[in-house]
Amino acid sequence: MNGQIQGSYHGKGSPLFKLYFITAIFTVLTLGIYRFWAKTRIRKYIWSSVSGDGDSFEYTGTGIEKFLGFLVAIVILAVYLGIIQMALFYFGLNLFSTPQTEAQALAQLFAIYITLLAVLPLMLFAQYRARRYRMARSRWRGLRFGMENGAWVYALRAMGYYLLNLITLGLMNPLVTFKLEKFMTDRTWYGDAQFEQEGRWQSLYAGMKHVFIGLALLIGGFVLIAVGGANDTIGMLIGGGLIFVVSYIWFLIGLVYYRVYAFNYLTGHKLLDGQVTFGARLETGTIIGKVVVGTIVIGVIMGVIFGIIAGIGTASLGSFAQGGTLTGASISSLVVIGILYMLAFLAAGGLSLIMITQPIIEHAVTNITVYNADHLDSIRQRTADAGADAEGFADALDVGGAI
Amino acid sequence: MRHAQAQGRFFDGEQGLRLSVDLYIDAAAETLRLTHPNLPEGSQYWPLWAIRALSDQARDDQMVLSLVADEALDSALITTARLTVEEPEILTILSRLCPDLNRRDIARGTYRKVTLWTGGAIGALLLMVFVILPAMANTLATYLPIEREVAWGQTVVRSMEQVLGRSRSGGLTCSGQDGLRALQAMEDRLTEGTDTQYDLTVAVFDHPMVNAFAAPGGHIVLMRGLIEKADGPDEVAAVLGHEIGHVEARDVTRNALRAAGSAGLLSLVLGDFAGGGAAVLLAEWTLNASYTREAEAAADIYALQMLARSGTDATAMARFFDKIAKLQEGGPDLPGYLSTHPESHQRAGLARVFAEDQGVTTPILSAREWKALQDICK
Repeated sequence: MNGQIQGSYHGKGSPLFKLYFITAIFTVLTLGIYRFWAKTRIRKYIWSSVSGDGDSFEYTGTGIEKFLGFLVAIVILAVYLGIIQMALFYFGLNLFSTPQTEAQALAQLFAIYITLLAVLPLMLFAQYRARRYRMARSRWRGLRFGMENGAWVYALRAMGYYLLNLITLGLMNPLVTFKLEKFMTDRTWYGDAQFEQEGRWQSLYAGMKHVFIGLALLIGGFVLIAVGGANDTIGMLIGGGLIFVVSYIWFLIGLVYYRVYAFNYLTGHKLLDGQVTFGARLETGTIIGKVVVGTIVIGVIMGVIFGIIAGIGTASLGSFAQGGTLTGASISSLVVIGILYMLAFLAAGGLSLIMITQPIIEHAVTNITVYNADHLDSIRQRTADAGADAEGFADALDVGGAI
Repeated sequence: MRHAQAQGRFFDGEQGLRLSVDLYIDAAAETLRLTHPNLPEGSQYWPLWAIRALSDQARDDQMVLSLVADEALDSALITTARLTVEEPEILTILSRLCPDLNRRDIARGTYRKVTLWTGGAIGALLLMVFVILPAMANTLATYLPIEREVAWGQTVVRSMEQVLGRSRSGGLTCSGQDGLRALQAMEDRLTEGTDTQYDLTVAVFDHPMVNAFAAPGGHIVLMRGLIEKADGPDEVAAVLGHEIGHVEARDVTRNALRAAGSAGLLSLVLGDFAGGGAAVLLAEWTLNASYTREAEAAADIYALQMLARSGTDATAMARFFDKIAKLQEGGPDLPGYLSTHPESHQRAGLARVFAEDQGVTTPILSAREWKALQDICK
C-alpha cells in the first residue's frame, strides 16, 4: 500500500450564503427559471471546496443544459401529471383542499399515495439519472467521472426492493440499501477505471441495532402503558409514557445512525480499478450535533427576524386591520412587508445551507481517506457520456436533495 | 516589461498524472508558456485570449484555468486540460491580460435547441391547460355524481371561509334568523317555476367585499358588502340569479376540475420555490377564476328569465351592473367578482332591453324582509 489521500474542505460560510441568497433572489424574480443556474452555481462552489491532495474537484455542469433537460421533462410530465391529477380529483380524492372529516383526511392521504405511486417509477428513474448527470459533470485532476446508462432497470429493481421492504416491515432494509448502492456503484467510473462495491449486505445489520433497540423500547413502553392502564397504576403509566418518548427519539437517532453506518461501510468496501480503496469514518454524534445546533441557531435567528417584520407590519397596517379600507399607502406597506417576508424566507434557506448542509458535507469529506492513491496517476480520461443529459426529471420532480 | 514566472499544477486532461509546470507569461506574444520535461516537446503555449477561468470557485487563493474548446461533449465549452495557479502575482497579471478570462462560451446551436424546446414545453402546457384539461373537465363535470359535488362544494365554502376570515376566530357565516328567512324567501320566489337540479344552499359571509361566488353542488355565498352596496332587494336577487345560473350550468364544477389539473402543472413549472405556494394560489384561483364569456352571458340570461318569472324588475340588474362599472373605474382595490365580470355597461344594456318588455313588477322582498336581510350579520 502506498500513497494516501485525506479529503479536505475549503468552503466558507459567508461567500456561500451570499451566493445562495443572490441566486435565490434571481430565482424569485424570474419566476423560478433561474433556479437551474442557481443550483449549478452552488454546486460549482461546493464541488470546488472539496479537494484531495491539493487538487480541487470541479463541477462542469451548466445552467442552460439543466434548463434544457427540464423543458424536455416538462413536455412529457405535463401530459402525464395533468391527466392523473384530474382523474384523482374526479374520484373525489382532492389533494388540494383542507379535509373536514376523518374520512376525507383518509381519502386525501390515499390520493397522495396514489399520486406518489404514479410518479414513483419516474422519481426513481430521475434519481438514477440525476446521479448519472452529476457524475458526468464531476471532475478531479481533469478526469471525468461517469455512470453507465441503467435508469429504467434501476427504477424497476428499486420498486421491487421497496416492495420487499414494505412486506417485511423493514427487516430486509440492509439488503435494499446494499443492492441499490451496489447497482449504482458498479456502473460508476472515474476516468477509465471502474468502481466496484464489495462487502456483504448482512454486514449492514450491525448498523440497524439502534433502530431495533428503539423499536423494542417502543413496544415495551406500549405494553407498560397498556398494563398500567388496565390496572390503573399511575406509576406504570408515567413510566410507560417516558419510555415511549425516549424510544421514539432513540428510534429517530437510530435511523441516522444506520445511514451513517451504511455510508461508512459501503464507502469502506468500494474498490476502484481493482486497487484503490477508501475509508470513511463519519460520526453519527457529530452529524446529529450539527443538525441540532444548526436548527436551534437558525430558529432563534429567524424568530427574531420574523418578529421584527411582524412588528413593522402591525405598526404600519394597524388601521387596516381595524376595518379601514385599503389606501395607496397601506398597499405599498403591504408590498414592502411581503418583500421582507420573502427575503427572510430566502435567508432561512441560505442559513440552513451554510449551518447544516455544508458542515455535514465538510464532516463527510474530511473523514474520507483514499488508500493506494499512487495508482490514480495511471488512470486515463474517459470519453464523455453523450447520453448523460441534464437531470430534467429530477428537477421537475424535485428529487435533487439539498444541493 | 518584467516577465512573470511561477509554478502551476497541470493536468493534461488525458491522464491523471499531475505535472508541476513552470509558467511564463509572454506579454508580447500574448501567450502563457507551460514547461515540463514530460510535456510533448517540453512545452505548451496557451494563447491569452483563449484562457478561461472556472467560475464560482470556493478557493480564492487559487485559480483553475482551461482553454476554450471548439466543441465539447459536455456543455461547458472548454478543453479537458486544467492548470491550477496559486501565485498571486501571476494571477493579477493574467486577470489583466486575458481578455475573456471569465467568459462562458456556449456551444453553437444551444440557443436554437433551447428555443425549440421552450416552444415545445409551452405548447404542451398550453395544450393541456386550454384544450385537454377543459375538454376532460367538461366530460367529467357531467358525470360527477351530485352528492359528491355537494360534499365537495361544502369543503370549498369552508376553506374560503378560512381564507377570508383568517384574522378572526369563529366562522364568517351570518346567522340572523329573520335575515335567513328573508334570504330563503328570495330564493323561493326566484326559483319558482324554474326546474333546478340542485338543492341550493345560500349563505351570507360577514365580509366587506362587494362579491358573491358559487361553489360546486349548489352552494352560493353572498358577501355582506354586496348586500350593503345594493339599493333594494331586487339587485341582490339579480346577483343571486346570476350565481344560480352558474350553478345550474355546472360552470363552477367545470372550473374547479380544470384548476385541479392545472395546479399540478403549475407547481411543476414553478418548482415551488416559494414553498407550497401553488396550493394556495389554486384555492384563490378556483373561486376567482373567470368563467368563459359565453358562460357569463348564459348566466345573465338565466338570471333575467328568473327575474321575469318572479315578476321582479330586471332593471335592478342593470342598476347593479352600472354600480359595478363605476367601481371598476375606481382605485386599485378592485374586488375579484367585479374584475372577472367584464363589460358591465354592455351587460347592463342587455338587462335594460330585457326590462322594457316587462309588465308590472313588484319588489322581490317586502320592506320588512329587506331590512332583515340587511341586518343578517348583526
